[in-house]
Amino acid sequence: MARKRRVHRGIERKKAIWGWIFVAPSLLFFSLFSFYPIANAFYTSLFKKDLLSLRPPKFVGIKQYTYLLTSPTFWNSVKATAIFTLGTFIPLVVFSLIFAAFIMSRKRFQKFFQMAYYSPAVLSSVVAAAIWLLILDPRGLANQFVNLLMNSPGVDHKWLASIGMVRFSTILVYFWKYVGYFTIIFIAGMASIPRSLHEAARIDGANSWQAFWRITFPLIKPTTLLVSVVAMIQCLKTFSTQYLFVQSGAPRGPIDVITLNIYYTAIRDHRIGRASAMSIILFAIMLFFTWLQLRVSKSEEVSYM
Amino acid sequence: MKRVVMVLLVLSFSLLLMGAEKIELLFWTHEDPNRTEIENKYIEEFEGMYPNVTIKRVTYPSRKIQETVLTAFAAHKGPDIFNMEINDEYPYIVNRRVAPIDSEAVGYDSLQAIYDNYLEGVLDPVTYDGKLYGLPLELTNWCIFINKKYFKEVGLDPEKDYPKTWEEMADVSEKLVIRKGEILLRRGFDFRYPYYLTFLVPMVEQLGGALLSEDGKTAIINDEAWLKVLEYFKEWGPNGRNLGSPTYTNARKLFNKDNNSVAMCLTGLYQEGRIRADNPEFYESGEWMVVPFPRFKDAVNDLGSAYYGHYYMVNAESSKEKQYWAWKFIAFMLSHPEEYLLKVGLIQPQKALLESDIFKSIPYSDVFLNDMAKSHIITIHERAPMMQDLLKEAVESVMLTNTTPAFALHRLKTKMNELLEEW
Repeated sequence: MARKRRVHRGIERKKAIWGWIFVAPSLLFFSLFSFYPIANAFYTSLFKKDLLSLRPPKFVGIKQYTYLLTSPTFWNSVKATAIFTLGTFIPLVVFSLIFAAFIMSRKRFQKFFQMAYYSPAVLSSVVAAAIWLLILDPRGLANQFVNLLMNSPGVDHKWLASIGMVRFSTILVYFWKYVGYFTIIFIAGMASIPRSLHEAARIDGANSWQAFWRITFPLIKPTTLLVSVVAMIQCLKTFSTQYLFVQSGAPRGPIDVITLNIYYTAIRDHRIGRASAMSIILFAIMLFFTWLQLRVSKSEEVSYM
Repeated sequence: MKRVVMVLLVLSFSLLLMGAEKIELLFWTHEDPNRTEIENKYIEEFEGMYPNVTIKRVTYPSRKIQETVLTAFAAHKGPDIFNMEINDEYPYIVNRRVAPIDSEAVGYDSLQAIYDNYLEGVLDPVTYDGKLYGLPLELTNWCIFINKKYFKEVGLDPEKDYPKTWEEMADVSEKLVIRKGEILLRRGFDFRYPYYLTFLVPMVEQLGGALLSEDGKTAIINDEAWLKVLEYFKEWGPNGRNLGSPTYTNARKLFNKDNNSVAMCLTGLYQEGRIRADNPEFYESGEWMVVPFPRFKDAVNDLGSAYYGHYYMVNAESSKEKQYWAWKFIAFMLSHPEEYLLKVGLIQPQKALLESDIFKSIPYSDVFLNDMAKSHIITIHERAPMMQDLLKEAVESVMLTNTTPAFALHRLKTKMNELLEEW
């Protein structure tokens, strides 16, 4: 018995060694390009350091964090990030699910729709924002289109000017760019559901609506979780749209998301210590929400058995 | 066999020596097609004169180069030669990231001889602790470019009716503007929005205000002057008389197109070269002119726009040998001030050039020079880029949102003084 256990343990150990060998390259990659920068950012956040200075940085402990937590500018960034994330992440998850269900229900042109929805995701954020800047220019297509729809000639909807509209515009650009990407992920999730389940439901007399809510939706919960976690992290990390909008004359305050504030603090103001502290706070926020989502949906693993 | 080994050894040693002698200079600069053409020619000529030197010139968009150079220097991978606007370069001098000039390499007998060659004061921003850290590629001030056609179209005589004051600027723009409802199809005039240190601070100074106190310890001097300027911008924007806005395409870019989208813009002498390159027909038409930077009606100071410079600098972390060759190459480029003026429209503030007939023959060069004589250099400060961002926030909040000028001023003052305290 003891010998059997020893042999079994030996096989497990061998498997474990091979497991380590296989994950070692990716672990090394992550250590080098993710863990090290995070640790380095945390270390830098404890110092007062000018990006250009050759003088040794001054150790200030957690002063950068206490400063940030009492800074109205930083709280404005937290607010801008929260508004953007909520305004983008919820529609992204909901609409990508709807679009995926729509595409899956089509008998023809499925590939065409997939390509059409996915194509904006191929563009770089900078190019996407540049295209939208032309559209949102006061003399651009956005005003013309909305005025045609609403029969309100000559109205400037101030897409890049007023507080509410500039926030809406960044959300619109981001939604347009990423909805296709998440749609494709949902399609992959839906495609993995065995056809026999839908066929059985149809034989039992379920209509499409019932089949979606009783079969498809419960069985793609892992995909929904993946999409919601990835979409939320992406939204919290948003930068280029806001950056380009501000560069093109939009007021910074309403869209001064944490990443944009990090950029201005580090690049314009050269305060790399404070910018690092902000990035650590942003990292903590992302970590917390990811953990929360995973915890809330822990019991939602699915099995086709 | 021994002989073969010996030959191989000698060959590889001489190859090593040859490699060691080769100097490769990396040169980063902002995009300017007219300048690229002549500087590429100078590189070819210089490499012909000194075959041991090769120069790689890389261009970046003018709004992007600041962060590219900064991140490269932060990683100790900066280029050997670079240029930016002086306020972006100043922190490099203060932090000893750039090398002082080697007067021998630039072909002068002494440092004093360099100062004597340039207009008085223009090398002050690059002089630090008695050393000189840069040579000017250009010194620029801004005046108003006018498209005469649009003035005539609305019954104005451009020669007489051009705006002399900021109040007239708003009234003349009102006559020139074409709107479709709230949307501006043609603007009379619009500002160069992100560059507030160049045009907004002089507007405040015309009214007796200042960005910084004389000792540099307090920011935003004379609330009344600041309030008047902020009110002017609120009136200018979409919530006031709706004459322009930072969200429209840059007026300077549209001006050259002569496509009925803007009648006046604020820019430097270099614009003439760009009009000629972008739209030769318009350049030759005689339908454009240049007038001085306006003053407020009740101005207490007769000031034009601030002038700023782009200075060529050399990386202090480059080897001594590279520094020598970098300065030598910079001096070679700058020994062609007439070509920079004629082909690119850049004024190198060398005394001989400004007194030359070539300079005087450039259309409206006298307008720029007269206005420059009444101006001063842009605010030079280690935190100047951040100050400009705070000015942007204040002006654009009154123009684009419902923020009152009084509140915007209060916030600006608080943030600027906080910036100075922390610095």
